Amino acid sequence: MTPLRKSNSFLTAYFSELRNKPYLKINLVFAGIVVLVFAYSFIFSPDKNNYPVVCIYEKVTGEQCFSCGLSHSFSLILRGRFNEAFEWNPYGLRVFLFFFSQLLIRILFSFYYLKEINNRRQLILYDIFGSTIIFLIAFYPFFLQLFKSVFS
Amino acid sequence: MEDVKTNSGQNLGIAALITGIITFVLAVIPCVGIIAIIPGIIAIVLASVGLSQASRQNSPRGVLLAGLIIGIIAVIISFSQIFVAGKIVRHADKWPLDIRSAVEDVKKDVLKDLEDNNVSIKIESNGNKVEINTRSNKDSLIMQLEHLESGKKDKNDTLKKVK
Repeated sequence: MTPLRKSNSFLTAYFSELRNKPYLKINLVFAGIVVLVFAYSFIFSPDKNNYPVVCIYEKVTGEQCFSCGLSHSFSLILRGRFNEAFEWNPYGLRVFLFFFSQLLIRILFSFYYLKEINNRRQLILYDIFGSTIIFLIAFYPFFLQLFKSVFS
Repeated sequence: MEDVKTNSGQNLGIAALITGIITFVLAVIPCVGIIAIIPGIIAIVLASVGLSQASRQNSPRGVLLAGLIIGIIAVIISFSQIFVAGKIVRHADKWPLDIRSAVEDVKKDVLKDLEDNNVSIKIESNGNKVEINTRSNKDSLIMQLEHLESGKKDKNDTLKKVK
């Protein structure tokens, strides 16, 4: 079987199962959202500073919160300027890696979901567990700050 | 009799789960955390409607329950961002003082402007003219009050017809 035929058969199986399988629908939507996040970061330039989403706290108080500069950081990471990205927001890279890992997980797990018909339930459990761990690691500083703010 | 399971409420469940997870991610980020209350509530509503449909039609509820639970947790996290806002405002102690001093300055300026001001209002209607004169000076107002109490007629603060 040629690679072209293989990819065609995968896509045919994917679209035929998409209607009946909520997992595939959810994967498709999340993959789309991650692509949109990357597109947003790529379209808006860190040099022009023309981001439409602004921080509420910075607008109201003039003080920066610890997630300020994430958009700049994402844009700079996509352009390969990692040092500047770190200067804009030190947590930018780990959040970016979370989104990037989610994009890969959505594609890979959709592929294995179609391939491994007998282990689908197990695959979904792996996905939930793995994604939760990655999310907690990526957003750990944010949770910590939130925890400190609530209980201090 | 065998129970027939349908897929009723399943699409609502998917929508609730997706909205709930997006809300969860947004709620953790302080910049947009408070705004995430809105999609969080949407997720809860979708999941609730789906659950009611599913319970009527005996459909599977796993996705719906997941959407509801994630939505509720996301709304709680989003709501707790208010504490982060409070902390930021406490740190930003300079701006409330600046606003307070600006308000005080404006107040002083307004009072100073009003202090020795004479106000004159002229009204003209059908050939009749009425002129009202008053002063906001504190001393003059006291004098005026004394005049009024003594029963003497004062030229100021009375309506006079101008021909």
